Amino acid sequence: MSRELTIWLLVFVVGVITYTTRVSFIALFARRSMPPLLAKALKHVPAAMLTAIVIPAVAFSAPGVLQLPPSNTKLVAALVAAGVAWWRQNTMLTMAVGMAALWLLQYLVG
Amino acid sequence: MRTYFSRAAFFEGARDSVPMLIGVTPFGIVCGVGAVAAGASTLAALAMSMIMFSGAAQIVATQLLVAGAPFAVVVLSCLVVSLRLLMYSAAMAPYLRPLDHRWRSLLAFVLTDQAFAGTLQRFRDSDDVRANASYFLGGGAMLWMIWQVATLVGVLAGQLIPTSWHLEFVVPLCFIAVLVPLLHDRVSVLVFAVSATAVIALDAMPLRLSMICGGLLGIAAGVIGEKIMPPNE
Repeated sequence: MSRELTIWLLVFVVGVITYTTRVSFIALFARRSMPPLLAKALKHVPAAMLTAIVIPAVAFSAPGVLQLPPSNTKLVAALVAAGVAWWRQNTMLTMAVGMAALWLLQYLVG
Repeated sequence: MRTYFSRAAFFEGARDSVPMLIGVTPFGIVCGVGAVAAGASTLAALAMSMIMFSGAAQIVATQLLVAGAPFAVVVLSCLVVSLRLLMYSAAMAPYLRPLDHRWRSLLAFVLTDQAFAGTLQRFRDSDDVRANASYFLGGGAMLWMIWQVATLVGVLAGQLIPTSWHLEFVVPLCFIAVLVPLLHDRVSVLVFAVSATAVIALDAMPLRLSMICGGLLGIAAGVIGEKIMPPNE
């Protein structure tokens, strides 16, 4: 099978998978009510999943290599950005300060 | 279809999605670069972004293709990185319930990390289903369009952007901006601490399963924490 054909096949198979996961519970709970325990658990989805996405992106310098500050410039920049997010709750400002912090730290660390 | 459409809320959602759009652009560019590296034509690379519409699945798929993984392994890996979407779907379900079938199907298609992170608070704060649905659609439609543009930029000019700029770092920064304000009570801080510890401790798991497991442990900690800790603030 040529690479191009493989990719087209993947597009449709994985497209079905991503759409199915997205629509899953929205369709399931369209007509029936949600079990109370599930409803309680769902309140914590944003904090839990955002943490699980963010932490590996800032704590590891390479897959499996945990790196701590100050040599981990991404983690320091992320902490600066977190401070800005707490102080101002402004997404654009958080991103701008975080990127600026990263560039400055990388310049300083050389 | 029109019954739930509010033009004003649609454009408000589109406007409020701007920080998220900036956040996904480098990610989309990376997806375009990855697709080219995996041997995709420009059209196939765009089809990935239009139909899969998931940066995590697209990156995993292209990396595994480059590594020569069998088709079934690529599909399975994409399924695993998509499991978090099940949780977003469940979290959105109660809010989309009053809508009709077509609206639910359409909004499900634009349910992404960014759309979820950017709009859940609005659904929690407001009971206006019509405005909320249109707001979500506005942000989701913008994200989808920018995703295609960014992919195309990645396919055509991705090599021109120096990696030393670390533009991909805006992706976690964008999520930090949403996450930090959520941590305003003890239970949320507990959820954060457990998720963070678990995702680091479980990093050796294959197929990035650590992310979904870390998230589930954090959610479990939240449910237990709410039972045993008296509510404060």
